Amino acid sequence: MEATVTNWVEHLTASEVAGQVYPYVGTEWVWLTIAVIFWLAFTVSTAIGESEEHDKLARKRHGANDYKRNIAEW
Amino acid sequence: MDNELSALTTIFTEFYYWMTVVLMFLIHVGFCMYEVGASRYKHHQHTLMKNTLLIPLVTVTWFFFGWWIYWAFPTGPGIAPSIMTESTGLILGGGFGANELANPTNALMAINLNDHIMGVFWAAFLLFSWTAASIVSGAVIERITTFAFGIMAVAIGSVFWSIDAAWGWHFDGWMVKLLGYHDAYASGVIHAICGGFALGILAVLGPRIGKFSSSGEPRNIGPRNPWLVCIGLFLIYTGFWGFYAACNIPIFDLGPEYGMEGTTFFTATNIYVTPTTLSGITMNFLLSLAGGLLAGYWISKGDPFWTYSGGLAGIIAASAGNDLYHPLQSLIIAGIGTAIAYKMHYWVERTFKIDDAVGAVAVHGYAGVVGLVICGFVLWGYPSSGYDGYAAINPMGMIIGAVIMFGVLGFLPGWILAKILHGMGKLRIPRDVELAGLDYNIMEAASKDEKAVASSNR
Repeated sequence: MEATVTNWVEHLTASEVAGQVYPYVGTEWVWLTIAVIFWLAFTVSTAIGESEEHDKLARKRHGANDYKRNIAEW
Repeated sequence: MDNELSALTTIFTEFYYWMTVVLMFLIHVGFCMYEVGASRYKHHQHTLMKNTLLIPLVTVTWFFFGWWIYWAFPTGPGIAPSIMTESTGLILGGGFGANELANPTNALMAINLNDHIMGVFWAAFLLFSWTAASIVSGAVIERITTFAFGIMAVAIGSVFWSIDAAWGWHFDGWMVKLLGYHDAYASGVIHAICGGFALGILAVLGPRIGKFSSSGEPRNIGPRNPWLVCIGLFLIYTGFWGFYAACNIPIFDLGPEYGMEGTTFFTATNIYVTPTTLSGITMNFLLSLAGGLLAGYWISKGDPFWTYSGGLAGIIAASAGNDLYHPLQSLIIAGIGTAIAYKMHYWVERTFKIDDAVGAVAVHGYAGVVGLVICGFVLWGYPSSGYDGYAAINPMGMIIGAVIMFGVLGFLPGWILAKILHGMGKLRIPRDVELAGLDYNIMEAASKDEKAVASSNR
């Protein structure tokens, strides 16, 4: 793999300076696809986890003041 | 940048917007503190996480499509021709601001040696998006699921406010052209829409358990940590300085922009590219803050929560025209907006059994709507733009604009999305979880850890 910029002097003295300096110019769709998949996976996974956590807690049927037993005094 | 002067102008503009982003970050810090302070002990940590998560969720979606929507929709599409492309379709290419620049795969959506503005401008708008989602967040605390809130945050932060900004907060927006809509510091495009969106959700979500007595009388569930609320609101005020500055273009030569041959007129402008000064809007910001604080204290009989919220409501009410108002006009408009917002909050609460935990619908929604309507009368006849063919600012245009912001793009999408999520059983947390407290498991685990540590001797 060749870096986008290998020599700053040559890069900046070119007749037309290329603005893009990040690695792998031209592969932006790949990164975008990965990022969208990451976002969707996060959303689905955390939604499932939240539902499970709520169901588990709801089954215990705690009262409105039970939490006071758990107030930690560190 | 081929000479020192143009380099200085460009780098100054870049740094200017960067500073607004840093300042606006404090709005979010303030909202987090405010919400946690308003929530009850057994919900603190989930309340904080819910608001914190909107940062990454809105950020990634703003990169994916929110910014693109802003530049694609000024024409409606199909309502008024663009001054850039003269087409009424989606803006997909062309001159400055044209949509190919905001495509997430475009060369300018990254470090680019030939551009110093796109990134900071994108970021300034993103911080508005966080604010939009955060306004909604406070209203729904202690009973919405984090999943549902995430969907709502993306919807308001990266879709609906982006559409309203394209329509009414863009030099090419159809609402500006046809209605003479004017909203310099976002009374409508941020605040009214988010207040409406929150109200739409609340209408479906329902009140917190215990908020209303069996006879329907509302009970006060006051802030559990008023000091945190106080510091939070002060931080929101502080961030608002950045918000105001970010709504301006700091330096612009209007001569060639308006086609005035031989004329040079360097000035700051608002988002519509009409002139104002950072100096003048600073006075207006302070006087509207003062008007809101005074009215809030007066009408609530010295209640700290509503005094602080009044300061915010005051700024919001005056924001639509704060690029042109006299400071004393800002003061009076702020006072009127705050008083109406306060009265409306309790009337809606009693009449429709709406439990808005932090008064967000009132402070942002009602004050924003009042600000738009008043702006239509006070600035009646002013040009909404320096470009040819735009309607002048007028009361009817501003009233229609307020309905679009609060109702069409705010309440309606919030209500519909809430209905869908409610139908899926994903909107509200189970009743037993609400009673036990969202943090019950975390607190129980911490308590066990504490007992183990306290009883150990090595």
